Amino acid sequence: MKLSTMTRAAVVTTVAATLLAACSQGSTTDDPTDDATEDAADEGADEGEATDEAEETDEPAETGGEASGETITLWLAGETDTPVELEEWLVTAFNEETGATLEVQRIPWGELLERSNQALPDPDNTPDVIEMGNTQVPTYTSVGAFEDLSGLLEELGDIGPEGFIEAGTYDGTVYAVPYYWGSRYIFFDKAAFSDAGLEVPTTLDELSTAAIALREAGDDGFSGLWLPGQDWRNGISWIFAHGGDIAVKEGDQWVGALSSPESVAGLTQWQELYAGASTAPQDGKDAEAWVPFNNGEAAMFMAPSWARWSVEETKAEDLGAFALPGVDGGVAPVFAGGSNIAISAQSQNKELAADLMRLIFSDDYQTMLAENGLGPANPAFTELMGDDEFAQAAISAAENAKLTPASSEWAAVETASVMEEFFGRIAGGEDVATVAAEVDGQLADMLNG
Amino acid sequence: MDPQNRYENVGWTRKTTTKRVEMTTQETLAVAAPVRSRRRRRGGLGAYWLLVPAIAVLLIGEGYPLVRQVIMSFQEFGRAQQFGAPPEWIGLDNYRELFADAQMWGVVVRSLVFCAVNVALTMLIGTGFALIMLRAPRVPRVLLQVSMLLCWAMPVIAAMTAWQWLFDSRYGLINWTLTNLGLGDFTRHNWLIEPLSFYLVATVIVVWMSVPFVAFTAYAALTQVPEDALEAGQIDGANAWQRWRFIIYPSIRPALTIVLMLQIVWDLRVFAQIHYLQGVGGVPSETHLLGTYIYTLGVGQSEYGMASAFALFVLVLTLILTGRYVHALLKAETV
Amino acid sequence: MSTDTLAADTRVRAGTDRARTRRLRRSTRGRLWGAVAVTIALVWAFPAYWILNGALQPVEALRSPTPSFVPTDFTLDAFGRVLDGDFFASLRLSLSVTLICVALAVVCAFVAAVAISRFRFRGRVSFIIVVLTIQMIPPEALFISQYRMLNDWNLYNTIAGLSLLYVAAVLPFTVWLLRGFVDGVPVELEEAAMVDGCSRVRAFFTITFPLLAPGLIASGVFAFLQAWNEYTLAVVVMEPDNRTLPLWLRGMTTVSNEAIDWPAVMAGSVLVAVPVIVFFMIVQTKMTQGLVSGAVKG
Repeated sequence: MKLSTMTRAAVVTTVAATLLAACSQGSTTDDPTDDATEDAADEGADEGEATDEAEETDEPAETGGEASGETITLWLAGETDTPVELEEWLVTAFNEETGATLEVQRIPWGELLERSNQALPDPDNTPDVIEMGNTQVPTYTSVGAFEDLSGLLEELGDIGPEGFIEAGTYDGTVYAVPYYWGSRYIFFDKAAFSDAGLEVPTTLDELSTAAIALREAGDDGFSGLWLPGQDWRNGISWIFAHGGDIAVKEGDQWVGALSSPESVAGLTQWQELYAGASTAPQDGKDAEAWVPFNNGEAAMFMAPSWARWSVEETKAEDLGAFALPGVDGGVAPVFAGGSNIAISAQSQNKELAADLMRLIFSDDYQTMLAENGLGPANPAFTELMGDDEFAQAAISAAENAKLTPASSEWAAVETASVMEEFFGRIAGGEDVATVAAEVDGQLADMLNG
Repeated sequence: MDPQNRYENVGWTRKTTTKRVEMTTQETLAVAAPVRSRRRRRGGLGAYWLLVPAIAVLLIGEGYPLVRQVIMSFQEFGRAQQFGAPPEWIGLDNYRELFADAQMWGVVVRSLVFCAVNVALTMLIGTGFALIMLRAPRVPRVLLQVSMLLCWAMPVIAAMTAWQWLFDSRYGLINWTLTNLGLGDFTRHNWLIEPLSFYLVATVIVVWMSVPFVAFTAYAALTQVPEDALEAGQIDGANAWQRWRFIIYPSIRPALTIVLMLQIVWDLRVFAQIHYLQGVGGVPSETHLLGTYIYTLGVGQSEYGMASAFALFVLVLTLILTGRYVHALLKAETV
Repeated sequence: MSTDTLAADTRVRAGTDRARTRRLRRSTRGRLWGAVAVTIALVWAFPAYWILNGALQPVEALRSPTPSFVPTDFTLDAFGRVLDGDFFASLRLSLSVTLICVALAVVCAFVAAVAISRFRFRGRVSFIIVVLTIQMIPPEALFISQYRMLNDWNLYNTIAGLSLLYVAAVLPFTVWLLRGFVDGVPVELEEAAMVDGCSRVRAFFTITFPLLAPGLIASGVFAFLQAWNEYTLAVVVMEPDNRTLPLWLRGMTTVSNEAIDWPAVMAGSVLVAVPVIVFFMIVQTKMTQGLVSGAVKG
């Protein structure tokens, strides 16, 4: 029996060896980095290998021009938010400037927080430079995820908006700077307005009146203003317009402000507008707001500036735009969309990362941002966004734009869909003051950690 | 007395004369399987060697993460800890906080009800379809099997896209059909906004996806019911129900029991479908089930300590629910 | 099934199937059941048809006030739009991960199944309990540890790492399935062949292995489905540029600053489903046999 046991052992070992071989084959024959680089059409064919080598090198980069062979990674948020030309320009310029390679990875917004949580603390896998939504940034500045940018600030030039810098600041230190801003404004169907004999509204009240009139003039299911119930990013503009806020800091404590008289006034107006002018679903969000407009089912919708390019040609002729009007005229403060950009604290190539930041804030890149309709961080370039009504609406809306509370816990509020549900309930007709007071308590709990 | 020794000797002594050292897996197994089923041989080290690959994979892929999960459930482990802050040992605090959380109990109750309804429907419909397959002529039967296969093979995300459009409030086929059949005004009816209606949609989808597995298994088991037994029943004048109750059901019961246990486990931790639907619409805080709640706690809010504690609680809950079946299975093992 | 052999049983079953079919074809009752079966088949397959229908039309058709049940504005544009480099990169990744997972899961599970089915040894019942229990662990809270583990072993963002986690996830079920199956194969068959002068190895291949094939295939199918469909873990342990097919598909529905190309999403869904359906069609007959002989024996 002894011999037989040995035979069996030998056989099992062989099997195990086969298994191991299968395992290692998996990792070598089909190295996923190949896939990644093949797609980046304009880049050198041997870049895949360069990437591999660079990932194994832990030494920090030397100075600029001699960094050939080094690779740094830039994470851009959203699959298409930064236009491809801008990405290509960055890759080329970065290589010319430093000799090193820039690898750009696009992270869908839905995966950004999850991936950041994993990668940012990890020196092996962290992106060197990362774009992040302006409301997400405070969550990471407080845990030391980003490099202190104080030393770099001066070189980056004049930057803003101020709210974005605040979002990227923790304990007086700037960790993340504005990448681009976007603003939300109202798109409208000029033909529908002239048919109904309406003028472009100049106050929030006039907007409600016009929207409700348009809804009543239209077919069943027609929206005067497309206003999805859970679309809080647009909805909070009504709070801001009336002088309210989501939450305010009193001392070192966050206090919910949704139930303040100003906020309640704004929310009530929004609720009436939803009930009277919108047929959008109560659980609708801000995605694809132009769809009903394209389908002839809405006369107005509120969206970030790029939504313009999703309006169909047949509708585009009559497409107009105006910034959300304030309560007493002027322009209402809207929610400031946009992104910040930062260097990961765990980056192994901080010098190169800083070089990339300089490129991003270079005149050339700022120009390209503005020309592509993305609000440039450097205000000197804002005028390059154009002077048509869309650009004007974007710029004037941005002047008054506000952000969500700069609490490090704000991301938790977003992932728990607190604001979506809050607006959804108001759209559902619940009593504004009651719901607001309830959610204020929830916000205080969450924002104070 | 041990009749298996006979095989043992024949088997192994023959093998020792084999000169080849390289053998395929199958050969090993042929060697290792010389015993009549159920009468198991007292194994030497051989059995352990055969378990090595499985145990190694399980230890690495599930065991180690599970141990870490247990540890984390006793720690304050959030985003700060992920970014390098030392995790603080807090004993049972996560559990205490969890059990004091009304929302969590709501999730548990909803999940139990959801699981019970879905498992019951899936089992009933699946077995029913199997009986239809058995009775239908060849062509319709194959057609039904192909249809089942098609929906079983549909990747979850693809299937969810289809259902999202079918239930869409403005352009969905279901609202259009219901309205045009005169069943009421379903124009722009929102299926996801009310939690109960949300779960109805989820149930339709989950049952639709799980029925094929049950149907195929039950059908395969049914084809093994001896024809004679059925005919004997018919001659005795047993009606359809009696034939099912006293002839068919007892013979496919073992198959159904295992499928039932698997369905309980799967439906209790249903994740992908709920997660997808929450992205489409509805009120997430009112529609969480166990899977999405753990996901939101952990991945969403970086409360890994809490998520770990909750996951362990869910594991215990599942064990309690399936305890009867597990116990029965184990009893069969020791015979 | 305790006394007669599987092979014989299969033959008998095939015989009764035929007889049953012949009889049914003639009867009215058979025709009635046939009609029911066809109706159910159509209803159940409808969502799959709806996806295909949507993929073959421009987006306006999806949003028209009256649904278009057949692709009247037939176009293959959507397929053209999704069949780009990204798709093939994801296809390669998904296929590699899935096939490795299937192969490893089947081999590991089979070997383990033989051990617990054929041997009595200390720890056998404990192993079975562990296997059953592991199946019940909710996976969502394991991600962070699994990520760290792979990272420590330089397996982050590798096909091997992801496959390994998938194998571990499907192994409990496949072990269980195959164990029941090995239980059901009578050794006497093999021995009978050996009496006729076959070597044990040959006896195994000619007699036992064909009987095991359905079980191996059924467990392979299960592993295939799990690995092919999974997308939450794939986010955690793979880099952003390496997306499995489900993530590629999901990516198309989460674009943030442009219109979602729904026909393309549906075309993508069809493309993702095709390999699975092909795989299923190939193994279909064996698979259903496997389900019963294996899972069911318990």
